Amino acid sequence: MTHWAILSGIEGNLAAYEAVLQDMRRQRHPVSDLYVLGDVIGLHGDNDAVIQRLQSPRSSEWVPQVCIGWWEEQCFSLHGLNSSPDAPELMAQFGGDGVKRLWESVSRESVRWLRSLHFGFHELDCLLIHGSTVSYADELTPDTPAIQLCDRLVRADANHLFCGRSGQTFECWVTPTRLRSTVTTLDGVQDPQDQGKTPRRVVGIGSVGRIPGQATYTLYNPESDRLNFRTVNYGKAKGFGATIA
Amino acid sequence: MASSNITLVAGSPGAGKTTWISQFLTDQSQDLFYLCPGMGRDSVDLVRIGYRFPWVSVIPENQAQTVLAGLPRQAQVYLELGFHLDLASPLLATLPCQRVAVLPPSLNQSEWHDWADEVIPGNDIQDAGRDPLPELWRSPLTGQVFDPPSLDELLIELTGGAYGKVMRLKGIFEMPDGRAFHIDFVQGLPGIEYTELNLPRWLQGRPNRFSGLEVVGHHLEQETISKTLLASCLADDVLAQYQHQYQRLHPDEETKEVFSI
Amino acid sequence: MKLAVISCIHGNYEALNAVLSDIDAQKADQIYCLGDLVGYGPYPNAVVEMIRSLDIPTCQGCWDEDIVEGLNACECSYPSQLAETRGRLAHEWTNSVIHPEVREYLATLPMTLKLDNLCFVHGSPSSQHEYLLPSMDGFAALERVLSADADVLFCGHTHVPYVRDLEDAALSVNVQQPDQTESPKQFQVALRQIVNVGSVGEPRHGRPNATYVLYDTDTAQVTLREVPYDYAKTCLAILEQGLPPIFAWRLARGMEFAERADDPTHVCER
Repeated sequence: MTHWAILSGIEGNLAAYEAVLQDMRRQRHPVSDLYVLGDVIGLHGDNDAVIQRLQSPRSSEWVPQVCIGWWEEQCFSLHGLNSSPDAPELMAQFGGDGVKRLWESVSRESVRWLRSLHFGFHELDCLLIHGSTVSYADELTPDTPAIQLCDRLVRADANHLFCGRSGQTFECWVTPTRLRSTVTTLDGVQDPQDQGKTPRRVVGIGSVGRIPGQATYTLYNPESDRLNFRTVNYGKAKGFGATIA
Repeated sequence: MASSNITLVAGSPGAGKTTWISQFLTDQSQDLFYLCPGMGRDSVDLVRIGYRFPWVSVIPENQAQTVLAGLPRQAQVYLELGFHLDLASPLLATLPCQRVAVLPPSLNQSEWHDWADEVIPGNDIQDAGRDPLPELWRSPLTGQVFDPPSLDELLIELTGGAYGKVMRLKGIFEMPDGRAFHIDFVQGLPGIEYTELNLPRWLQGRPNRFSGLEVVGHHLEQETISKTLLASCLADDVLAQYQHQYQRLHPDEETKEVFSI
Repeated sequence: MKLAVISCIHGNYEALNAVLSDIDAQKADQIYCLGDLVGYGPYPNAVVEMIRSLDIPTCQGCWDEDIVEGLNACECSYPSQLAETRGRLAHEWTNSVIHPEVREYLATLPMTLKLDNLCFVHGSPSSQHEYLLPSMDGFAALERVLSADADVLFCGHTHVPYVRDLEDAALSVNVQQPDQTESPKQFQVALRQIVNVGSVGEPRHGRPNATYVLYDTDTAQVTLREVPYDYAKTCLAILEQGLPPIFAWRLARGMEFAERADDPTHVCER
């Protein structure tokens, strides 16, 4: 049985990640694969500790498949490892303090490891990615215009697009019902084509570490196509208070 | 006369000599020999015959005399003569053999007609004649691996006449996914034919097996062709990157695919 | 009003002249230009001076951008290694002959131009590098027109002209979120158009003739124009200027100097 756990947005929050791992272990249908769709690092936690945890899972644990997110790209930018130096997006959103904190909290070795990660994963008829194929910063939400969601699905070349940039959990079915396309070239008019397609969906997988005390992530069974959004409350006051949302 | 059977095959470039011979090489029950004098060890035809018909003894030029002298009984020998070879060569005159010319059907008179015992109608192409004798330009490419879209573009330009008038082009080219292709073009026939060679994928460094290009034509700009070929070949680091990727994709046949933007 | 929309001149002064004469003969009221004034061809300065002297509203193309910013096209925007090598040669040559005031002018060009319900871009509204090919998925194409907030999107960049009608589109969306009721929504779009105006100076439709487009704003009538010109003159100038002879060979066959990219939706990440 394949049973995927898909998560994103740990953002250095090791306690949140541990709570999610514990919730995964408690599943009646055992989780077979673990996907981490970027934003492993952030401003408010212990980035190197989370990276080490991901790099060396315990012997009984899943080997996480990790891809690059928005925060990793900011880190690459600071280190001159991508095409836009000095992380202008980070500067604009978190100012000089944010830049300084991110620079100091990720070791050289960690940066090197992050740089070796993929941009995303194509599995079966699914694309698992942080933003979208347009960009790591592409934030898809239930309020994104329908035609834009449709465009991202077409570009993803997949029936299910799992993404983590928004941090929200949602499932958005898009049905491109019909569209008549007629092309005219110098050689004349071509026959019109109906470009209608089967339904497909964008899935927001939640965020593990962004909200302190409450982690969200997604379980997915590609065989039964069943989706299960999980909310895990953790911290001193909450005990083992995992609830199914 | 020996009981072995020697067939000499001549004709204009692109008429279909190798194709005509190939039909007889499929019979694995016979003792088959193939020679192509004047082309050295590493001609595209020689190598391709070896790949397609592993049971055929492909004889390099320097061993021709020895092999021809000691042929087994019942041997079937096919000797392909390049267009540049003098039909009056003493080697050919002394051989007890059958002479076949593969020629375009529209060609009614030529020195091949006078020479041959039998004329086989081949591809219906314009015979450009031997006056002046076209150039044969060969470029060994062993070890080189091509960027596929660059090779496509280069072949379109080359066969379209961008670097001189090309009558015939054949080659064996290595691809970054480890496959090798035979490529064939005859002026007057439509398109460029790509055939994958039945070889194991080469995914460890530069392929240590023959690849090369042979062009027959007039006013060939050899230096420009060489430069363009080189500009289409992959550098060490790029090749390593491709091979790394294919190695990762191939061991497990699952649908796992690395996605990159 | 009758508009003439031109694009991708690429330093081909002969072709530009022929197209301007044809536009004159067709009695167009206004000309728009979608960029790529320079690159590959032998007369980049003369082309820019002509466009400026006629006060033609112009968007910035990717070649114009590279001359301003320095070559920073990512390698994936070239379809092959060979095309990249040639592109670099063309860029270096253009960069070495371009006049400072021409470079300054190119820097001022906007990414998009609007006129009522019409939008003008070089590649697509999201990127100068994106190719809107006629084979692109219809919904993705519609997204480009809608994101430009227009009814008709004029583009170039692919060097092959076409008109694409996107009609009677219907799309439904159904959002399911924890603790919220489902919210199905329907969207319908009657008609949008993409008009690719081809290329004046570097055609790739298989003939050497220049192409551009006429658009009547009153009737919404689109006319694809193909204009013969003395391409041999441009070919000769390519050789005289020391540009690679293969550029001349390809130009004379309507094959474009280099090649086009294949991936219609590829967006350069840089």
